[in-house]
Amino acid sequence: MGEPRTGFAFLEHTADVGIRAWGPSPREAFEQAGVGLAALMGLTARSPGRATQFHVDGVDAGGLLVALLDELVFRLETAEGEGLASLRITRLDPTSLQATVELAPMRDPVEGLVVKAATYHQLEVAERPEGATEIRVFLDV
Amino acid sequence: MELQRIDDFEWSVPIGTVEGMRVPGIVFGSEDLARRALDDRAVLQVANVATLPGIVDASLAMPDIHWGYGFPIGGVAAFDADADGVISPGGVGFDIACGVRLLRTDLSWEPEVRPKIRELVAALGAATPRGTGAGGRLRLTRAEVLRVLRDGVGFLLDRGVGVPEDAERCEDGGVLREADPEQVSERAMTRGAGQLGSLGAGNHFLEVQVVDEILEPVAGNVMGLFEGQVCVMIHCGSRGLGHQVCTDHLATMDRLMRSLDIRVPDRQLACVPLAHEAARRYLGAMNAAANFARANRHLLADGVRASFESVFRRSPQSLGVDLVYDVAHNLAKLEEHELDGRRRNLCVHRKGATRAFGPGHASLPPVYRTIGQPVLIPGSMGTASFVLVGTAEAERKAFASTCHGAGRALSRTQARKRIGGRELARQLDEQGIVLAPGSPRLLAEEAPFAYKDIEEVVRSCEGAGLTRTVARLRPVGVVKG
Repeated sequence: MGEPRTGFAFLEHTADVGIRAWGPSPREAFEQAGVGLAALMGLTARSPGRATQFHVDGVDAGGLLVALLDELVFRLETAEGEGLASLRITRLDPTSLQATVELAPMRDPVEGLVVKAATYHQLEVAERPEGATEIRVFLDV
Repeated sequence: MELQRIDDFEWSVPIGTVEGMRVPGIVFGSEDLARRALDDRAVLQVANVATLPGIVDASLAMPDIHWGYGFPIGGVAAFDADADGVISPGGVGFDIACGVRLLRTDLSWEPEVRPKIRELVAALGAATPRGTGAGGRLRLTRAEVLRVLRDGVGFLLDRGVGVPEDAERCEDGGVLREADPEQVSERAMTRGAGQLGSLGAGNHFLEVQVVDEILEPVAGNVMGLFEGQVCVMIHCGSRGLGHQVCTDHLATMDRLMRSLDIRVPDRQLACVPLAHEAARRYLGAMNAAANFARANRHLLADGVRASFESVFRRSPQSLGVDLVYDVAHNLAKLEEHELDGRRRNLCVHRKGATRAFGPGHASLPPVYRTIGQPVLIPGSMGTASFVLVGTAEAERKAFASTCHGAGRALSRTQARKRIGGRELARQLDEQGIVLAPGSPRLLAEEAPFAYKDIEEVVRSCEGAGLTRTVARLRPVGVVKG
């Protein structure tokens, strides 16, 4: 496909915006979805920042992904003037995940969208036999 | 998938269009709008909603319907509250009680306001926090957030912001007493604490408008509207607080559905029976978020009054800056409706649809009881907005509902590809529309051509008998979220 092994892209939707994210493992695809969300919000920080750990639960991989993105929406909306410096999924189980997020001050503010939440609409976490994972999720903006 | 013609403004989505439909779907609108709904795949969503347990009569779509997630935007669905009906947070949406408020004035565009429009828009821009991450006009403590959730507009009236008529002229008198602040999470309150009195972004706006034409003089007169008059329209919702309430309760219901063995064609349609404890909790939280939304618009209106006072150097009272009405277009409500000859208790979901009670309805404020409920329809940026009134026919045909706006036709990226924000600002300026400074990108995404023709939407609502058109307003100043 000529695409890098890890990455994200935005998807079209009449009123909203989607993220397609992929990686060689589910962990990396989840991370890319989070990085894509921050990019969409114009909240990507370039410097190292303060790290915090969190965990979320879900009934399945899709539920976990929505919970992860909703966690990031909350953190980014309430961390005034800060953006996402890094996101690492440190543990990914079928119904829970553990992550470390680094938030840092935004030096050069970029224009972004206000994301209200992640939705379950046409949600997909597709895992290939060798572990490569592709995600599709729509956000309400 | 196809639509069957019922009449010029009503189209049926037959049972069987998707598996498991319990009732048919009905799309209101001209042939052109109905066809667009098909192309947009929104009709599939109308059919999906018709599969939900306890749905009565039909899954409805207003003429401005467009593709949403789970429920279509412009969808109306009623569920039996006395039997197996459900409630679905996705049928209300993330922006709980997003809505519209219209303020009138005694001022005319010519000669009073036109010479001062730039000064007025600058003042309104300064008084209206907006865009991404904007803090509100008030920063609240946790205890104060709780009071807003419980008392709605009353919280601000107690602090001397606004006048009692501002509450009376809101749908529900400015407060939903069924609100249960305890069902609102700490997270939601944290998001809301800094955002009371802010527009947000997207299609939200504050506009200075001129009444272009009065089409129903009697109703126009009751609302205090006249041709050439300057008004202000505010379109916004419950901000991060409402978004978080939806997020929290949607996640709960997504989990619960498995144990309750409820199957839905799209996970965003997650729902639980109205009799379930989780439904009671969601309704309490949703009503609390609606109180926050109403207070949010009330506080923004206070900034409008202050702006008029600073520009015209007269008190808002002497300028006649009064509230016409305030409506929500994302809400679920327990209402009584007549169905098959008997009164039924229903939970009516309106997602991108406005309640439209006809004349004489007991829940209307006395001043509007003879004309029917005012319905406020915001246009897209640079196009006309409308004031309508509800009808008895809307009560019979559509659980007293009508459209909410133009409805999107193009995605945000498609809009941006066609025009840059600066070019659009220049074009608006040429049309005589003054713009308060904001984000060029977000501006381009809200370009007028990204939306359906509002005139056709309003005409369709009238054609279908859901509302009558009272007044048409054109924008002269825009403060964009």
